[in-house]
Amino acid sequence: MDQADAPAETPRPFAHLQQPGAPLYRAIMGTFVQAKRRFIVHLRPEDIRAMLPDHGRTPAESPSLDGALASLEHWGNLRSDPDTSRVTSVEEFRRARYLYQMTDHGQAAEDALQTYEAALGRRGSLQSVALDDIAGRLRELHTLASSGTPEPGATHLALRTLVDRFEDLAANAQAFMSALARTIDVQDAEADAFVAYKERLIEYLERFIKDLVGTGAEIARLVEQIEDLGVDRLLRMAAERDTRDTAPGPADAGDTADAVLARSLALWRDRWQGFRAWFIGSAHHPSQAMVLRGQARSAIPRLLQVVSALHDRRSRRSDRAADFRALAQWFAEAPDEDAMHTLWRSAFGLQPSRHLGVDADTLEARAYDPVPPETPWADAPPLLISPRLRRTGSYERRGRPAQVLDRSLARRHLAERAAQEVRETARARARLATGGPVRLSDVGTLEPAEFRLFLGLLGDALAAKPLGARTVEVSTGDGAMAIRLSECDAAGPEAGESGAAMAEIRTPDGILRGPDHIVEIRDLTAAPTGVAGPVGDEAPLPEFARRGA
Amino acid sequence: MAGSLTDALAQSRDDERRRAARAILRRPLLRADGPDAESFALVQRHSAHLRAWFHTHAGWSLLVTPELARLTKTMDADGPGAHTHPAVTARPRRPFTRRRYVLACLLLAVLSRADAQITLGGLADDVLLAAADPDLAATGLEFTLDSRAQRGDLAAAVRLLIEYGVLSRVAGDEDLFVEDTGDVLYDVHRRALAGMLASARGPSTIATAASSGPAERFAERLARLTFEPPAGSEQLGDERIRRWLTRRLLDDPVVYYDDLSPRARALLDGRRAALTGAVADLTGLVPEVRAEGIAMVDPDGTLTDVRMPEGGTDGHAALLLATHLATVDVPVQVAELESLIRSRAHGFAAQGFWRRGAAEPGADRIIVRTALDRLEALGLIRRGRGADGEPTVQPRPAIARYAVTAPAADGVMELPGPEDPDTANPEVEHSDAGHPGTALAVEDQPAEHSSRHTEEHAR
Repeated sequence: MDQADAPAETPRPFAHLQQPGAPLYRAIMGTFVQAKRRFIVHLRPEDIRAMLPDHGRTPAESPSLDGALASLEHWGNLRSDPDTSRVTSVEEFRRARYLYQMTDHGQAAEDALQTYEAALGRRGSLQSVALDDIAGRLRELHTLASSGTPEPGATHLALRTLVDRFEDLAANAQAFMSALARTIDVQDAEADAFVAYKERLIEYLERFIKDLVGTGAEIARLVEQIEDLGVDRLLRMAAERDTRDTAPGPADAGDTADAVLARSLALWRDRWQGFRAWFIGSAHHPSQAMVLRGQARSAIPRLLQVVSALHDRRSRRSDRAADFRALAQWFAEAPDEDAMHTLWRSAFGLQPSRHLGVDADTLEARAYDPVPPETPWADAPPLLISPRLRRTGSYERRGRPAQVLDRSLARRHLAERAAQEVRETARARARLATGGPVRLSDVGTLEPAEFRLFLGLLGDALAAKPLGARTVEVSTGDGAMAIRLSECDAAGPEAGESGAAMAEIRTPDGILRGPDHIVEIRDLTAAPTGVAGPVGDEAPLPEFARRGA
Repeated sequence: MAGSLTDALAQSRDDERRRAARAILRRPLLRADGPDAESFALVQRHSAHLRAWFHTHAGWSLLVTPELARLTKTMDADGPGAHTHPAVTARPRRPFTRRRYVLACLLLAVLSRADAQITLGGLADDVLLAAADPDLAATGLEFTLDSRAQRGDLAAAVRLLIEYGVLSRVAGDEDLFVEDTGDVLYDVHRRALAGMLASARGPSTIATAASSGPAERFAERLARLTFEPPAGSEQLGDERIRRWLTRRLLDDPVVYYDDLSPRARALLDGRRAALTGAVADLTGLVPEVRAEGIAMVDPDGTLTDVRMPEGGTDGHAALLLATHLATVDVPVQVAELESLIRSRAHGFAAQGFWRRGAAEPGADRIIVRTALDRLEALGLIRRGRGADGEPTVQPRPAIARYAVTAPAADGVMELPGPEDPDTANPEVEHSDAGHPGTALAVEDQPAEHSSRHTEEHAR
C-alpha cells in the first residue's frame, strides 16, 4: 500500500476517471455519495464491498478493493483514518484497518461529475412557455419603465425572473438542438422508437417555430420600447438591490460598495445586451432567435429524411441477408445438380413460363377437323413441321410469302430511263433552237427525238394560231421552249427559188410535208444564247439550217 | 356504329392485357427502366386486372411499384420438371454450377447490407468474407479470387443479378475483372433485391435435424420451403387444387394426368373447360387436350424459354431425337441415341447444316445431352436408368407431336411404315422444293447404315 496519511502532492480528484479500473473507482465513489445521502460519513472497506453493486464480479484485471481505496486516497478523493474498533481474529487485527471518508476535493469532483452526466443526459426542450413568460415579464418591465418612479423591488424581481427564464430557454434550446442532431443520427435499435416519436417531434418543432415567430416579434418590440423608455435606470435599480443583498466579503480594501455596484451594473448591462442580441438581430448578426428558428425549421426536413432512410433500411430487413446465407448453405449441401436447380426454382420463382409451340397451319387443320380430347397424342395428327427444318435444321418461313417485293432493280431501270430521256430532250432542244427565223423547208433531216419535240412544238403553235393570223408565238407547257411561226410570203426570195410553198422534213421514220413557214425556236432554259439572238432576218442560221440549205 | 367502336376498344384492351400477362409470365421480375420498360408499362397499366386474375386463379401475388413489377411464382412442391429451370449464364446459356449458385446467394446476402453503390472488387471481398463462414467452409467449397475461373464464376453470378435488375452497371466491364485488369461499379436496386425471394417462408427460419443424411436433409428443407399449411375444409382444399392446376397450366408445357393426385385428376376432369379457358383467355395459349394430359400450346411460340422445334444444331438434333423417340414406347438407352447422332453428325457438319466441331469425337455426347435437356424441359421425355445402370430415356406421350406421319388424306406419296424408326430420320436429301404442301421429308427406302454412310460421304 502506497498511501500516505494525506496526499503529498496536489489532489487530482479526476485522475481515477482515466485509469484502467475506472468503473470500480466510480462505483466506490458512488457508495460514498450514497452513504452521504444517508448522512453516513465514514465507511469501512467491508461496508464498501457490501454496497458495491457488483462486488462479487470484480474483473480480474481491475485493482482489488483495498488497492483501489488506497489509490483514491492517493489522488485525494478519499481520506483514511485508522480504524480502532474491535476485531475478532488475529489476521484482521494485523491487517491495517482504516475508516474512509470523502475529502472536499472528492466531494466536489463527484458533484461536478453528476452535473456533467446530467448535462449529457439532458434531452433539452424548446420552451414555448418560457417565451410566454419572457414576454410577460417584459410587459411588466415596460409598465414599470413607463411609470415615473418604478418600484425597485418589482423591477428587480421582474428582471431576475426574466434572466432566469431566459437562461433556461437558451440552455434548453441549445440542448435540444444537439439532442435533435443526435436523434437524427439514429441507430437501428432506436428506429422503431424514432418512427413513433417523429410525428410528435415534428409537431413540436412546428409549434415552437410558430411561437418563436409570434412571441419573438412581440418580445423584440417590447425590448425596443423599454430601451426607448430608458432601460439603464431599471438595470441600475436591479444592480443596487443586488449589491444590497450581497454578503460582506472578506475585508478587502479595494472592494468598496461603489466598485461592487459598478461590477453588478456591468453584469446587468451585459445580460441585457445578450438578451437583446437573442431577439433583435442586426444586419450582420442575425438574432439567436432567428438562428434557432432556422435550425428548428431545417430539422424538419432532416427528420423526414431520417424517416425515409429508416423505411429504406427496413426494406432491407436484416433477416434477408440471413435467408440468402441459409440458401447459400443449402446450395452448397445440395446432393446433386438437379436438386440445386429445383431449389433455385422453388426459392426464387424467377423461371419463365414454358410452353410448346403450335403453328397456324396445324391450328387451322384442327379447326377443320377437331381432335377429340380422349385421343392419345400418338393417334392425333402431329405438328406440321417444315420438311426443310427436319432435313437441314434450318428454318424456312412457312406459308407466308414475302409481302414486300424488292423493287429496287425496277426502280433503278426507271431511273436510268428517265435520265436518258432528260439527256435526249436536252440534246434535242439544243439542236432545235434555231437562234433566229428559219424556213421550215430548210430544217431538213431530224432525228426521232428531235422530230418528236419539233412536232409537238409545231402542233402547239398551229393549235394556238388564230384563224387568219399569219404569225403566232407560243411557249411550251413546261416553259422550256418558245416557237414563233409565220406563214411564208410567196414573194420571198427562197420561195421563188424553190417554186413551191411546201416544206419537207425528213426523219428516219418518214417524211413530213406541209406548207412552208418561217420558224424561230428558242430554248428558254438556255437563257443567254436564246435571249442574245435578236429576232432578225440577218441572224446566222443554226447548224441544221445551214446543212439543209 | 357505337357498338363496333366499343367492341374494337374492348378488343384492343384485351390484346394489351394478353401481352401484359405474357410479359410478366415470361419475366416474373420486370424493372421499370432498362430493357423491360415497355413490358413494365403494359403490366402497370393492367396491374389491377392482372393482380386480381393471378390472385384468384393461381394464388400468385403480383406486386407493382413504380420501380418494378414482380409476379411471385410460388411453387407448391417440386413437380416432375422442377429441376429443368436452372439459373443460366447469359452467353452461352449454360446451367449454373454449384459454385455459382452459392456465389449468387452470397452476393445477395452481401448486397442486402450494402450501400446504394458498390464495386465488384468490394463485392468480391465481402463475398469471400461471407464464404469463410465455418458452416459453408465445412461443405468443402473453397472460394478465392486467384484464378480466372473463380473470378469468372463471380462475374457470372453478378451478371445474373444484373439480368434480374438487382444490380445495374454504372461503369466498367466484368470481363476486365475476370482478366484482373479492372473493376466495375454498380448501383444496387434495393426493391428488386427485396423482390428476389419467392418462397413462402424465409429459408433462415427453417432448421433441419442435423442427424439425417444430406439427401434427406435437402428434401426436408425443400419441402418446408414450399410447405403450405393444410387447407381447413374440403372446399378450401378444392380451391387450392384448382389454383395449383392453374399454375401448372400457366407455367408447365404439359400437365400429364399421371402426375396428378386422384383428387386433382377428378377436379381437372370436372372443370377442364373452365380452367383451360381461363388460362387461354389470359394468355392466348390454346389448350391441346389429349388422353394423357393437357398442353397449353402457344401459337406465338414466344411464351417459353425452350423452343421446339427450333433451328440450329441443337434444335435440329432435338427434333431428330424427338422424331426417333416418337416411334418407340420403351426406354431407350442414351448410348443408342448418341450413336444415332454420331452417325448423322458428319454428314450434317459436312454440308454446313450443323456447327463445326459437331462431328468431332465426343461432340455427340454433348449434343445428345443438350437435346435431351431440351426434351426433358418440355415434358417430352423422362430420364432414368436401365436395369444395368445405364442412362435411359423414356419418351412421354406428347412427344408424338413431333412424329413424321403420312398426310393420309392427300395420298400424294407413298410413305414408309411408321414402325420403322429409321424413317423418322430424314437424312437423305431430295429436291423437295416441288412439294411445298407436304409436311414431311421425302424418304428413300430405309438404308443400311453402311450405305447411308457412303451416301453422306459422297455428298
